[in-house]
Amino acid sequence: MSNSELIAVLESDAPQKEKADACRQLARTGTKEAVPVLAAMLGDEKLSHMARYALEPIPDPAVDDALRDALGKLNGRPLVGAIGSIGVRRDAAAVEPLSKMLAHADADVARVTAGALGKIATADAAKAVGQALGDVPAARRPAVAEACLACAEALLAADKGSEAAAMYRAVDKADLPKHFGVAAKYGLLQAQKPAGTP
Amino acid sequence: MSQRHTPNEVRASATPEPMRPRVTRRQFLRRTAAAGGLIAVPYLIPASALGQDGNVAPSERITLGGIGIGGRGSGVLNWMMAEKDVQFLAVCDPQKSRREKVKQMVDKRYGNQDCAVYKDTPEFLATRDDIDAMLITTGDRWHATMSVMAMRAGKDVYSEKPSCMTIAEGQAVVETANRFRRIYQTGTQRLSEAKFILANELLRTGRLGKLHTVRAHIAPWDAAEMRHDWLPEQPLPSADEVNWDAWLGPCPWRPYNAAYCRGGWRGHYDFHTSCIGEWGAHTFAQCHVAIGATDTSPVEYGYVDNPTGDGMVTRFANGVKMILHRGDKWWHGSCGVRYEGTEGWVAVADGYSKPEASSPALLADFEKIVRDYTDRTGHPTSHVRDLFDSVKSRRPTVANPEVMYRSMTTVHAANICMWLKRDLKYDPAKAEFVDDAEANRLRSRAMREPWII
Repeated sequence: MSNSELIAVLESDAPQKEKADACRQLARTGTKEAVPVLAAMLGDEKLSHMARYALEPIPDPAVDDALRDALGKLNGRPLVGAIGSIGVRRDAAAVEPLSKMLAHADADVARVTAGALGKIATADAAKAVGQALGDVPAARRPAVAEACLACAEALLAADKGSEAAAMYRAVDKADLPKHFGVAAKYGLLQAQKPAGTP
Repeated sequence: MSQRHTPNEVRASATPEPMRPRVTRRQFLRRTAAAGGLIAVPYLIPASALGQDGNVAPSERITLGGIGIGGRGSGVLNWMMAEKDVQFLAVCDPQKSRREKVKQMVDKRYGNQDCAVYKDTPEFLATRDDIDAMLITTGDRWHATMSVMAMRAGKDVYSEKPSCMTIAEGQAVVETANRFRRIYQTGTQRLSEAKFILANELLRTGRLGKLHTVRAHIAPWDAAEMRHDWLPEQPLPSADEVNWDAWLGPCPWRPYNAAYCRGGWRGHYDFHTSCIGEWGAHTFAQCHVAIGATDTSPVEYGYVDNPTGDGMVTRFANGVKMILHRGDKWWHGSCGVRYEGTEGWVAVADGYSKPEASSPALLADFEKIVRDYTDRTGHPTSHVRDLFDSVKSRRPTVANPEVMYRSMTTVHAANICMWLKRDLKYDPAKAEFVDDAEANRLRSRAMREPWII
């Protein structure tokens, strides 16, 4: 089927299976034209995931706009999913709205938000998770700490060793399971290596 | 290794206390003796529990948990429980019948009722900080996601194969293992079997001359193209019997049908990696390790116009060809590999007592070559032993995350080549197909919430 025909299936009263299959195909071939109809499905509990299944790989910034726009409209699992897809797409423009969701009442929303910020890993994302590390309750701290580790890795890859080291030290000092300390200490060693050391 | 908790003690602690100082068995006995005014430990503790008679004391054992243990997993678990320095503590499964069957098996072996059962993985991982390593033998759909979740919880991991459903999942396993310095072993057992090791060593030491071709077996059932249909909907059991949402995990929702839970997930696109992944997870890993391609994948994949990928030629950047084969043309056993160089060839598969080779002289020093391999690498000829040695030494296993990721990338790239019905070029450094946007879209799949890693 052509993309137009697939979009028509999504706009019709077709059964869930047919719409899911249309989403699978759009994941391979979909373009900007499919984004509005897929975005409209994000709040549908039964189709939200398949809408993201199609949206996530479409290489058009309209997808990022749609997912960001959905943040303020969704709740529960659809919101968790939208945040997850934003993370996969590494949408730097989403850092500001995501930063406000690190303290979300829904634990899954908060967890996936931290993960998304860790994947985006810009300086602003690093700042957001670094600040949250000292604020979040103990049960949520591991997810935020892993985001800090991910951001530190990105800083290290960008030759910002001193900033990476600061993040590793923050994780090392936080009250966390011991494997986080192992990870932070190892990262700190990498960050403090003299330039040119393999 | 970790101190022991009884299941009741663990369940009473709903909130994980990860920073709680660990108390060894010996410290516990000393404190108990002091508190009770005793001057000696009880003398009726069996020698086996004290680590005498060749046994390992409980405080020194590697503590093991399991997730999604069925038929195959039970076999692996039996191998693991035969190791004297391993103690299995708890199993988690969304299917009641399976978790109870594992508990019966474990309790029978240990002669007690101590194996704890869980049905919720996040709770299991969050509360059992006394478990060192996790055996993950779910269906393929869960292998990578569960491995990441377990390593984030501080566990070392043994994952059955195929160990990732997409290239992106493989990358996530590598990233998490590196981040948390976790030990990981994918279940490609042939990397630890003497006859397969011999074949690899003949290649590595140049006795086959200059290598030009390796051949890798793919499974004789299923096709490269997989099913997208849904089985007919059946009444959903209670969540205690089968938690269908957890069974599906990160995969797209579909209605319940009991056949999926009895192994009928195989052949379905959402749950399986085709005839290529079924055996290629093993044989591609063999070839990758044999030719030293543990940090790369083939750069070219040639489409073949048949349903299975039989005869597909892939090519590494150094010019070595890896050719996929179905059937018994090159072997008379399963999961075969064959390496061909300018000076000779060697082939091996399951069921062989030793490899076949172009010259008997190549096989003359079988035992010595394998012994030299274990001396040189430190890897034993037991896949589960290799994991447990690595848990202690923190040295990478023979089937470490990078081996899994690179060989499974080859599986996925070959599948994508077949699905798109065209030749593909792949850039292993960038982990992307060259000038093929549609192929690149198939490197990952959106994960179903809340199972997002």
